[in-house]
Amino acid sequence: MLEWTAQYLPSIGMSPVSVVTTVFGAFAVSFVAIVCWRKLVEDFGPAGGMLAAGIIIGTFWVMNHKLPGFGIHPEGLPHPDGGNKQFGLIYQGFKGASPWVDMGTAIAAGFWFFGFLEAKKGQRIPLAIESLPRIAAAVVGGAIGGAIVGLVGWTGANLFGYR
Amino acid sequence: MRHLSTVIGSAICGALCFGIWPEMWKSYGIMGGWITAAIAISICWYMNHWMGIIRNPPGRIWVDQGWAVSAAGIAWAMVRFDARFRHAVPVLICCLLGGALAGAAANKVNRQRSDSQESTAAGEAEKSAHA
Repeated sequence: MLEWTAQYLPSIGMSPVSVVTTVFGAFAVSFVAIVCWRKLVEDFGPAGGMLAAGIIIGTFWVMNHKLPGFGIHPEGLPHPDGGNKQFGLIYQGFKGASPWVDMGTAIAAGFWFFGFLEAKKGQRIPLAIESLPRIAAAVVGGAIGGAIVGLVGWTGANLFGYR
Repeated sequence: MRHLSTVIGSAICGALCFGIWPEMWKSYGIMGGWITAAIAISICWYMNHWMGIIRNPPGRIWVDQGWAVSAAGIAWAMVRFDARFRHAVPVLICCLLGGALAGAAANKVNRQRSDSQESTAAGEAEKSAHA
């Protein structure tokens, strides 16, 4: 059973068990951020928010996004049978060939849906429509920033003979 | 024009995350990733949400800088590694689903907590009234 669910499905670029880990990782970090972040800011002010960035995002980054093979002790996670296995809960699809999907997606979606449900029943749709341009602005801005950072792979890196 | 500050704040947040996060993680491993969250996300949060560079008028649905990080990760990999967007879609759907589940669960938990707090507050008020 576990063997079958761990099998890589080319059609979706991940195994069924990766769906489970991805959804759970996304759920865990979003739930903690939604429940705790506001309270930490209320209790400690802006320092609480900056603290939350480390203790919530940093800690859940380790759970969701760590990958073996890099760092000070890359051999710290030995993998006898080779292959492409990743140890973060959020799977990077198509054996890592997909664009990076960050847990920020989950947190943003969680905050959005939380706000949607907190609103009164009649106001939900207008509020959702009102938020769409702001989400679009955030997505466009993020894409601009990310694409510009991506450009250094084609400019700075080849000065030193890297691809 | 009123979305300009959102675009700027998002661009800086996305660039900061994917400019330093992969390098820190590759250099220092897991601790590098943790430290990057502490230094990059904290200052981005301070600018975008504490100072309010990402527009979030009171009483509206919260727009998080996570949208910016998400878009930046996909755009970064598409430019840097020639990755294809359609490859990201399954994981993206899983992440959105997980996040939405968490939003729904947090909503339920919040209601329960406020209910129980109200009932204990009412109970205490009753007690003090009796006393």
